[in-house]
Amino acid sequence: MKWFKVRLLLWMISLSAPAALLSQRYLLNEGEAYFRSDAPLELIEARSKALRGVIDPEARAFAFSVPMSSFEGFNSPLQREHFNENYLESDVYPVATFSGRIIEEVDFSVPGDYVVRAKGKLNIHGIEQERIIKSELKVDGSGVHLKSDFTVLLEEHGISIPKIVYQKIAEEIAVRVEGTLAPQ
Amino acid sequence: MRPYLFLLFFLPVSLQAQEEDLLSLLGEPEPTTEYVAASFKTNRVINLHSLESTSQGVLDIKISHRFGTLNRGAYELFGLDNASIRIGGDYGLTDQLTVGVGRSSYQKTYDGFLKYKFLRQSKGKRVMPVSAALLGTTAIQTMKWANPDRENYFSSRMYYTLQLILGRKFSEGFSLQASPTLVHRNLVKTRAEAHDVFALAVAGRVKLTKRLALNAEYIYVQPGQLLPGFRNALSVGLDIETGGHVFQLHLTNSTSMIEPGFVTETVEDWGNGGIHFGFNVSRVFTVVKPKFD
Repeated sequence: MKWFKVRLLLWMISLSAPAALLSQRYLLNEGEAYFRSDAPLELIEARSKALRGVIDPEARAFAFSVPMSSFEGFNSPLQREHFNENYLESDVYPVATFSGRIIEEVDFSVPGDYVVRAKGKLNIHGIEQERIIKSELKVDGSGVHLKSDFTVLLEEHGISIPKIVYQKIAEEIAVRVEGTLAPQ
Repeated sequence: MRPYLFLLFFLPVSLQAQEEDLLSLLGEPEPTTEYVAASFKTNRVINLHSLESTSQGVLDIKISHRFGTLNRGAYELFGLDNASIRIGGDYGLTDQLTVGVGRSSYQKTYDGFLKYKFLRQSKGKRVMPVSAALLGTTAIQTMKWANPDRENYFSSRMYYTLQLILGRKFSEGFSLQASPTLVHRNLVKTRAEAHDVFALAVAGRVKLTKRLALNAEYIYVQPGQLLPGFRNALSVGLDIETGGHVFQLHLTNSTSMIEPGFVTETVEDWGNGGIHFGFNVSRVFTVVKPKFD
């Protein structure tokens, strides 16, 4: 029985170890997340340069995250305060994340332009949504350049707009994520 | 074979764990210093300055009313027939330095202040447990001289206040601050009254919902400085926030809305209904838009 236990332990290690040790990961070292709320009465834009991300081509897995309080821009300091205080509740849900798997197989050793679909869980305001997001990947000698445009429905993430500002905040927010990932 | 079958059970778990791992591999965001915001809805608690300052490039226009006391009864519609007004504006020169002016109908007083928030409560890279601000105000009362025949000095109209505001947002829902205060009056009516009045003000906020907060403030004046009949100011209020506006509705026993008034000249008594209903309306205008490259 003891032998089985040792075997079991070894097996578990062997399952997790190769993925962690052997596959080469691409880390995002420079990038930004930008959003735009285009409502009839007001246009709100903000961006964060604190975006972080990683892609594991072997496993076709990826993960991205951005701290909500790092967004800057907005039309007034008060608007930024309300964004964090009333809408995103950044104290309770400090980061937005997107993690999952890439549907298409991409060989990162071959330079070129690729369009891939990233399937995973988008977590904003503590609420997860299963999403498939199209992304452009440009692979060259320096790494992988990523660009992705998608929209986020506020309602899907439990962010409600009070009637009084209904004309000032769009229900659908346009998001753009851009960055360069380099092999680690 | 049995142990291997058992292991198959682990396989999907470990695959899923890998995905989670990738997210955790990103680790905690790089620590930055994050300043705690919105300890109070606006830069006033009720009468008192809160530890908040006006953001850089923002103009905050404030229109405030204090009606007569509730114990005037139905004849004066519980005080609504009388109103004391202050109209003022605060401007954020920087995120930490605010300047403001105002004019009160109470004793026809002009006032100006400078407020410097020298400590900002923060977390993350640099942790600062409290916020602290220094407030200096000047007020000029412009009533006609009571005795025009005698020699009157302009300096007799002047009042000064120095106040240290120390506070902390303890949680999302609770903020507390204490303000040691010194009010200097150039001219007092009798010898028994102090020119320099020391007081300790305490104020707190409980956030009820995202847009509603309950405020209270109490100003303790060390006894012996004022004539009998003057009282400590106690106010309770409700903050209602709607985007760019903050409506503050309150009950208070003081008429004046500036420091020399509500610290040293409060005469009404909560005990016998000497309570004023009042409100502050704050509307912010962004004069200089934040940079967006």
